[in-house]
Amino acid sequence: MIELLAPAGSLERLKIAYLYGADAAYVGGYNYGLRANAINFSFDELKEGVEFAHRLGKKLYVTVNIVLHNAELEGLKQYLEELASIKVDAIIVSDIVVIDCIKKNNIPLEIHISTQSSILNYETARFYQKLGAKRIVLAREASREDIKIIKDKTNLDIECFISGAMCTSLSGKCVLSNVATNRDSNRGGCAQICRWTFKIANENDLFSMTPKDLNMSRFLEDMVNIGVNSFKIEGRMRSIYYIATLVYEYRHLLDKIINHTIKESDILYSNDIINRCANRESTAQFYDKFPTEKEQYFLGREEVSNQDFLGVVLDYQDHMLKIEERNYFKIGDVVEFFGPHLEPITYTINKMYDEDGNTIKVARHPQMVVYLPFDTSLPPNTMMRLKIFDKNDYL
Amino acid sequence: MTKNNILLIASNPELVKELKGKDNITFLFPLSGFTVGFPTTYNLNEITTTGYIFINRLLDNAGIAEFKKIITNLPANIKGLVFDDLGILNVLMELNINISKILFLNHFNCNYASINIYLSYVDSVVISPDISESEIDEILAKSTKPLVLYTFGHVNIMYSRRTLLTNYNNYFHRQVKNVTSLEDDLTHHKFKIMENLYGTVIYTEKPFNGLRYLTKPNVLYNLINPVFLTNAEIINIINSNTTLENIYPYNYLSTQKTIYKLKERDL
Repeated sequence: MIELLAPAGSLERLKIAYLYGADAAYVGGYNYGLRANAINFSFDELKEGVEFAHRLGKKLYVTVNIVLHNAELEGLKQYLEELASIKVDAIIVSDIVVIDCIKKNNIPLEIHISTQSSILNYETARFYQKLGAKRIVLAREASREDIKIIKDKTNLDIECFISGAMCTSLSGKCVLSNVATNRDSNRGGCAQICRWTFKIANENDLFSMTPKDLNMSRFLEDMVNIGVNSFKIEGRMRSIYYIATLVYEYRHLLDKIINHTIKESDILYSNDIINRCANRESTAQFYDKFPTEKEQYFLGREEVSNQDFLGVVLDYQDHMLKIEERNYFKIGDVVEFFGPHLEPITYTINKMYDEDGNTIKVARHPQMVVYLPFDTSLPPNTMMRLKIFDKNDYL
Repeated sequence: MTKNNILLIASNPELVKELKGKDNITFLFPLSGFTVGFPTTYNLNEITTTGYIFINRLLDNAGIAEFKKIITNLPANIKGLVFDDLGILNVLMELNINISKILFLNHFNCNYASINIYLSYVDSVVISPDISESEIDEILAKSTKPLVLYTFGHVNIMYSRRTLLTNYNNYFHRQVKNVTSLEDDLTHHKFKIMENLYGTVIYTEKPFNGLRYLTKPNVLYNLINPVFLTNAEIINIINSNTTLENIYPYNYLSTQKTIYKLKERDL
């Protein structure tokens, strides 16, 4: 089983993830999740999300991965039963009391062990396997060799992150946020203190411990070959554009790997698209080596934001694409449409109209509706971006 | 009131020599190759007194293989293990090793139900120091076995597998030592930082003073971590009949509950 697993911080993003090719998605529910700032799902939204997923033959997992304090024990059983009642496909847990509650009460929920448990060896994986875990989300610090051994020795479903932000710490082993801000990192309140800069000893150069992002696009095929089952994208707080772009690119790469048609040019092209969307430098981190200074930032967070995301297709009628604008674009811009089951289409904006049919030269207001003449229909939720990379250049 | 027994991390051999033979003190030896965050570690043959060994590294498969080599040949003076990685527990169970087992699981043992589940596998559990005293009291009251309480010392608040100081030195061509201090550039929060081959640990700048925990009921050991403290300070702390709050006023997270939803700030 090979699964592309996407994050979603809202119902809109969840649906985008599925439409763009995710086999499964993970979300925070209305309680016990580790992203207190994300727009977590209400019961009704979870129910709608599950039904949407199952209609498409896809899966929805819910994070229940906080470290519980005494006060949070009350209500846990009821919450898990509610998740089971709407047929959530699995929950992602780190605290043993959650596993115990499921088992003791025969709650029909599949158990995945969260990366919060920082599993790096097969004996730890076996411990959780005996408790009833079906899947292990390995620590981002796991090397290729460790992943392979864990898979070979346990035959558990193995889930690995392939993209997104890295903690400096082993997951679950940091309470810097608690100390510096009183926000509990292991209950969803992490203030990301590890991305601050520090003075060290008597040195003039600032100390930083910020890692670059994770990007496993170069190693996907190898990960498939050593038995990784689920390929997880990080970022429940990310935008629809981010989710659409990353799911789209990783879907294409995984499909080509499975079909044995992957080429180096595919990887290089996707890699550039992913990196530009993520805004931060990225690397494979622990998979192929022990990270050094090259896998960190030292001179501040070198983030480059861009306005590549121009709009979303709402409809197609009378040879016109109806677009909702997200960033400024104008006559003469060369753009690209990409969407579910759609190879990127290059398009030069020669004409455009506002909602009243007036010709306009620029679209400058986010969420304004713009019409573009177009020969063929594109489905709703197709994304329009500035064309930066041309796939032909990679051949 | 009677004080509980102390589990003292053996931060250096001189301290062990000085306190060896004291009835109320049991030593906890950071094991070489299996620990992070300690300037002095011990090979098994360097441990000459009775005590526990400490394994706080999260182990990769090679680390587990190393552990399997040593665990079946432990010297008789090793009365038990304090460990963080649940893989260690699985090995001990599968090999049916009859030795005292104390689960550390840093930052995780924050409620009585989880702790009681673990107590079906181990002899005791170290309660997370990251919770309030009232939460600790409820755990102690509901625990099925006596527990270990982090009672004094700088607290390990971050453990990275990266060698952060080495990376800094390499990047800037510096020679900062592997034990040093950090200060946040904006808010001026201070921390201590220590690196070894297996990763980097950040500690609180000040030692947590939980000496008032020494008389709590249902405690197997009160854990004291002497890292960054002098032997004289440790001996003073152990022998004191007061809680020394005038010298060591830092309560860490014991006096206020942490929040995790931003709207809680408004309540």
